[in-house]
Amino acid sequence: MDFKDYYQTLGVERGADAAAVKKAYRRLARKYHPDVSKEPDAAARMSELNEAYAVLSDPEKRAAYDTLGPQRPTGAGQGASGGERGAQGFQPPPGWASGFEFSGGPGGMEGEGADYSDFFESLFGHAAAAQGRGGGARQAARGRDHHARIDIDLADAYAGATRAMHLRSARLDGEGRVQPTERTLEVRIPQGVKEGQLIRLAGYGAPGGEGMPAGDLYLEVHFNPDARWQVEGRDVTQTLRVAPWEAALGGDVDVTTPAGGTLQVTVPAGSRPGRKLRLKGRGIPGNPAGDMYLVLDIVWPPADTPRARELYAAMARDLAFDPRADANPTPRS
Amino acid sequence: MSRETSSSVTGVLLDDDTLGLHDFAHTCAVEPHWVIERVESGLIELPAQGDGVDRVQWRFASTHVVRARRMAFVERTMDANPELAALVADLEEEIARLRRRLGD
Repeated sequence: MDFKDYYQTLGVERGADAAAVKKAYRRLARKYHPDVSKEPDAAARMSELNEAYAVLSDPEKRAAYDTLGPQRPTGAGQGASGGERGAQGFQPPPGWASGFEFSGGPGGMEGEGADYSDFFESLFGHAAAAQGRGGGARQAARGRDHHARIDIDLADAYAGATRAMHLRSARLDGEGRVQPTERTLEVRIPQGVKEGQLIRLAGYGAPGGEGMPAGDLYLEVHFNPDARWQVEGRDVTQTLRVAPWEAALGGDVDVTTPAGGTLQVTVPAGSRPGRKLRLKGRGIPGNPAGDMYLVLDIVWPPADTPRARELYAAMARDLAFDPRADANPTPRS
Repeated sequence: MSRETSSSVTGVLLDDDTLGLHDFAHTCAVEPHWVIERVESGLIELPAQGDGVDRVQWRFASTHVVRARRMAFVERTMDANPELAALVADLEEEIARLRRRLGD
């Protein structure tokens, strides 16, 4: 576990006052907020900023963190402050937080707890551990709920899926030190999930206070981008490319669905580009199931052979078709 | 760091009317009165539940959780007032909707 220099993360001096810390955080939050940032690592940077701000904006946490100070080089010895770095990287000394009482209830953290680093978890992230190291009296309460994002394919919403998730937590070892723990969880995602919907894993949030239940873990579902489909709720829209004669004369065409199957769809005669066909109940499964919409796009064959050019010429000659007839003004007599 | 492998767990979909007021507030890491103020001022919109419905009968959906957490984040970190935080949430929802339409 590496020591994290939260002052460096926010780009402020160690002596910066609360206003300077907040100003730096806001400036960087605007730059790296994942909903608006174009930076490729925006989500990771935002998570780092949140973690640094969670510590430096809280007087108790900041005071405790400051006792650790800059990391000492290996072999420099270990004291009541300063931390220790050996083969396993940085370790806070036992009892390092004695005398501090972190605000914010069990776990002492606000907001996106699930995204914090092992370093943070080992210092602030576990209610029982905090109590064990003399972090002060605490009100017993249910553990915090954690939130995380999970990206799935649209096909997973049709059929359900299983995803491996890595959850971080902390526990005390035999010497009373906080040890980060990573747990791998196989999460079965139910069929019928929608974009933005939450999946609850009961009891997989932060541990509760004494005798109180753990919080829950909420997974916010997002679909991986796929230009073939647009999704709104449980309705799915895709473009159906048809030949001119299929649109003009009608006919049956095969459609590949997000679920991976094939449907035979009847294109009505006289269809125009942009016509929308509704397949009731063929969207994402659910109660009620969504619908699938097919938006017709007419694709013309290239006139790249003598025979093709001959056919186009025959149409031009025999159909007397003016595609701009509606747009051209009628000559006045 | 120690590593453990746990058994499989099946997630439960949070349906549109799953969470009551106190569970909703806990999930969003805010106090119930924070939620009440924003529902009553229209910044968090619940489906029509009829006049005189008691607050303990309010039911919240996944979309409300995401919105409320965004609003709370903006209020907390930017010292924004609730109306401004709700406007930011509106804009983020619109950006997400447009990105979905683009397949981005």
